[in-house]
Amino acid sequence: MLDAVLLFREALYGSLIIAVTCALLGVYVVLRRIVFVGAALAQISSAGIALAYWLAGHGIATALATHPEALSLAATLASVIFFAGTPRGPVPPDARIGVWYAVAASAGILLIAKAAVGEAHDIFLQGNILGITRADTVELVIASAPVVGAQLLFQKELLFTSFDRETARTLGYRVGLWDLGFYLALGFVISIAMQFAGVLLVFNFLVLPAVTGLLLARSMAGTFLVSAVAAVVAAVIGFALSIPFDLPTGPTMIAVSGALVILAWLVRRMQRRS
Amino acid sequence: MTALVSFRDATLGYGRHAVLRGFNLDILDGDFLGIVGPNGAGKTTILRTFLGSLKPLGGVVTIAPGLRYGYVPQRDVVDTLFPLHVLEVVLMGRYDRIGIGRRPTATDRELARKALERVGIAHLADRPLTALSGGQRQRTLIARALVGEPNVLVLDEPTNGMDLVATTQILGLVRDLHERTGLTVVMVSHALNEVANYVERIALVHESGYVVGTVDDVMTQQALSAMYGIPVEVSSFEGHRIVLAKRATNGIRRDA
Repeated sequence: MLDAVLLFREALYGSLIIAVTCALLGVYVVLRRIVFVGAALAQISSAGIALAYWLAGHGIATALATHPEALSLAATLASVIFFAGTPRGPVPPDARIGVWYAVAASAGILLIAKAAVGEAHDIFLQGNILGITRADTVELVIASAPVVGAQLLFQKELLFTSFDRETARTLGYRVGLWDLGFYLALGFVISIAMQFAGVLLVFNFLVLPAVTGLLLARSMAGTFLVSAVAAVVAAVIGFALSIPFDLPTGPTMIAVSGALVILAWLVRRMQRRS
Repeated sequence: MTALVSFRDATLGYGRHAVLRGFNLDILDGDFLGIVGPNGAGKTTILRTFLGSLKPLGGVVTIAPGLRYGYVPQRDVVDTLFPLHVLEVVLMGRYDRIGIGRRPTATDRELARKALERVGIAHLADRPLTALSGGQRQRTLIARALVGEPNVLVLDEPTNGMDLVATTQILGLVRDLHERTGLTVVMVSHALNEVANYVERIALVHESGYVVGTVDDVMTQQALSAMYGIPVEVSSFEGHRIVLAKRATNGIRRDA
């Protein structure tokens, strides 16, 4: 089994980078109650990938077949700016996001159905974790490092503008700009991770490890730590199980993440009783 | 006394919808002002305008340069999903002084502990926010407002949803802070009976208009009856003012 794991070690490194980066951002996604935004951005990002394959398949922009992330990134960041800039209207924000989610999901499926690029269906749905190469790992490190670094550097600003926007505003914080920065970072990470991990796995790493963290930890620092550890455990165990048992890697990681949430919930219940 | 905030013939509201027109008010240095009125009358609009999150639709609102607010939001705005400890919440009041990208120092932590001492809950510094009672949570938010060394302490519905004991303690604490240090305090509330016994001046806002004056000027039968449009009685019990709406008789007169 070890040999098989070592054979795909770049895939493991790539998974770990995606898992930890998403898990750290995911703590704010869950605390801000914007899980649905995460899901919608993942769908928009996947629609961008589908559009790239469709265009490449029809000979319109063939370079997009090898770099679909360019269109995915453009679509995701444009959507973030659009979400942030849309004033409050008669349609509630969550319903607006719901519209985007549904439209992006269906557009992605329709485009990929007509894309002439081989194996696009699997990549679209599940990503291609095992296909991660050394170059991809380097790309993931370059993309993730500034996001994680910024999150560490602006930890207190992100915390304050997430926790109590009104008070932050009275102390001169430009809450809208901090929101935009956060959403741009989120959109960026999602669109980069999407091309390797797929919609479901990215969404999993954004939500489930953070939930595990909130169930087990008693402080913000502890929540980030547990979230990151839960993501690493899910990635490693999921990866290690999927290869010898010939299981799809992404869904196996998700299953392990789910098991960790259940375990955390049971621990929490036992702590409350004692 | 100099005015820290001045509203001059101001029209206040949201978008194109004016909530208050021709509004005039000075918040003075050393003031202890209650902005009181029923829900929807415009007190939150006044609050948001002088805090700077809402621009006046017309007229002039002047804010003294360098003015620093210590804002205490409504307690239920605070999200208990965040696993934060009391000291961490209080430290937020110094974040802008600490600077973007910098960590709180030992001095900041010491100041946060002192702010908790001022509001009487220094012993709760390391407790999770979720483990506190409503009154203790409100004290935490007041400590957070104080730790930033503000010129004006602004409280939004500080006693909302509290029982009698907690209400009395919180209002007593705010009054004590004002009396001991001369701190300017603005308190927004719908509870006229509670606020009137603690503040020195009242801005009473109602659908029909507004009236600003000392508690003695505003808390009269005539002024309140005219404001609310129903017969109102103002009584006094051991120095405490009590406002009572006279019971409606549905037009049936009962002769003794």
